[in-house]
Amino acid sequence: MSEISLLVLSLKIAALSTIAIIIPALALAAWSWQRSGAWRALVDATAMLPLILPPTAVGFVLLMILGRRSTIGHMLERIGISVLFTPTAAVIAAAVMSFPLMFVMFRAAIDSTELRYFQIARTLGATPLRAFMRVTLPLAWRGLAAGVLLAYCRAIGEFGATAMIAGNIPGRTQTLALAIYQRVEAGREEDARTLVVYVVLLALTSLIASEVLISRQRKRTA
Amino acid sequence: MITIDIRQPLARFTLEVSCSLEEPVTAVVGASGSGKTSLLEAIAGLRAATRGRIAIDGSVLLDSERGIALPPDQRRVGYVPQEIALFPHLRARDNVTFASRDPAHLAMLSEILELAPLLDRFPSALSGGERQRVALARALMAHPRLLLLDEPLAALDQPLRERILVYLRRIRDRERLPMIYVTHQPVEAMALANFCIVLRDGRVAGQGKPDDVLRDPRVAATTDVDNVFEVFDPQHDPTKGTTRVRTSDGVALVLPYDHVSAAVFPLVVRISGEEIVVFGRRPESVSSRNILEGPITDLRVHEGMADLTIAAPMPIRVRLTRSAAEDLGLAVGHRVWMALRSRSFRVIG
Repeated sequence: MSEISLLVLSLKIAALSTIAIIIPALALAAWSWQRSGAWRALVDATAMLPLILPPTAVGFVLLMILGRRSTIGHMLERIGISVLFTPTAAVIAAAVMSFPLMFVMFRAAIDSTELRYFQIARTLGATPLRAFMRVTLPLAWRGLAAGVLLAYCRAIGEFGATAMIAGNIPGRTQTLALAIYQRVEAGREEDARTLVVYVVLLALTSLIASEVLISRQRKRTA
Repeated sequence: MITIDIRQPLARFTLEVSCSLEEPVTAVVGASGSGKTSLLEAIAGLRAATRGRIAIDGSVLLDSERGIALPPDQRRVGYVPQEIALFPHLRARDNVTFASRDPAHLAMLSEILELAPLLDRFPSALSGGERQRVALARALMAHPRLLLLDEPLAALDQPLRERILVYLRRIRDRERLPMIYVTHQPVEAMALANFCIVLRDGRVAGQGKPDDVLRDPRVAATTDVDNVFEVFDPQHDPTKGTTRVRTSDGVALVLPYDHVSAAVFPLVVRISGEEIVVFGRRPESVSSRNILEGPITDLRVHEGMADLTIAAPMPIRVRLTRSAAEDLGLAVGHRVWMALRSRSFRVIG
């Protein structure tokens, strides 16, 4: 399999997983922003779990949820959808693993906007949703964009959970991270090195872009 | 009428305020940390822990016993916080029209607040006074039933304060909108408000007419000796350089023409009691245009100073050195004369 198609597949899987979690991460971050106490602590901790757990543990849980013996897996199979060891599984693994990072970044971006603006919008007759969409969100957009970029990087780097539920099928579920592992295993170190250069360049560009966005966000809200 | 009877736990104390406000403008006066801003936030619905009852003309905003607590967007209470908080990502026009786009109302407010040159600018390109005007217009466009103003003049220098006070008086007179105005400057309370509440450590230390409450020694909201008058019926005489006016108590005063010729009447003027000269007998040849007379109704001596109140007939406060008061043999009930230099009057708005 050519390196370009490998790269394209990896970027595609990472992009789809990132897009899939933007709305849920934003909704959860907005919910968590206005709350305090035990419920918030519990929800925040659960959302952060994949960041702390070994990726293989997350992969195992996903395997349980999506496997044939689970209710969800069984229902999916009855309507002719099989998720495990497909590109969809790679997207799901990347989405779950990068969700905490996006959530944390979104929370920080929303926190960095003055609550005062949101409150004033409310006194001007705006519902919580309208005040959030018209005031808080535009003020936080740089931080939110940085969160999307970082989550995208994390998705490109995803390995453990992907290996467990998507396998390592060249041309189908094999991403850059998996291909590096496979090439090193097979003693093709030269080939692995090329892929590592790709990954480093991709990650570096995204990190620099997100740093710039974050520093502008700070300046804007200072 | 606005009725407020609330309890709000704060970090240092519990805010406990109970009052009914019937006058168009109520000033809330108190030192910083006395709970003024918390009171406004409780009325606006921005504090979840508020308990008690708030109603505007019988319409209930909060009644914790009946489980009613309208969210801020349903209260129709305009709030201009001290930090103004214009939305930084929106031009002044979009800030102003955030709540409604009603072009007729926008045109009217643009005229009252002179907004036209500001509307296409972002908040970062506006001065303090300009931001204040845009924030006022933004709050008014939502057609509030009550306007809450938190220290609207605190961040402005003196000439600008006077201008913003002019705008606030226009809003008061044109929009006929009840206002609650928080300030730590008693002179602002006297210039704008008809009713005044003094807060101390979250409790009402005094309430009533600003002039009386603020100087009540039990309230001691202020120890200054500013005299604030609302004046009417200007008769300009440019050749003599004077403008004759009348106070609400019917006393005639002479003001310098060049200071007030462009002002909008009725006008609020202030003269410090430290700039008033007191005579034990009717003075005969004095340059001062304003000679008032009346009996001393109050005399208080402190730290080498003597503060007098003289009924002329409106109460006028004068501060003398203690030795001057002793040399004149001043005592309550004595009749005295005062010279108020016309150029010592400051225009407030």
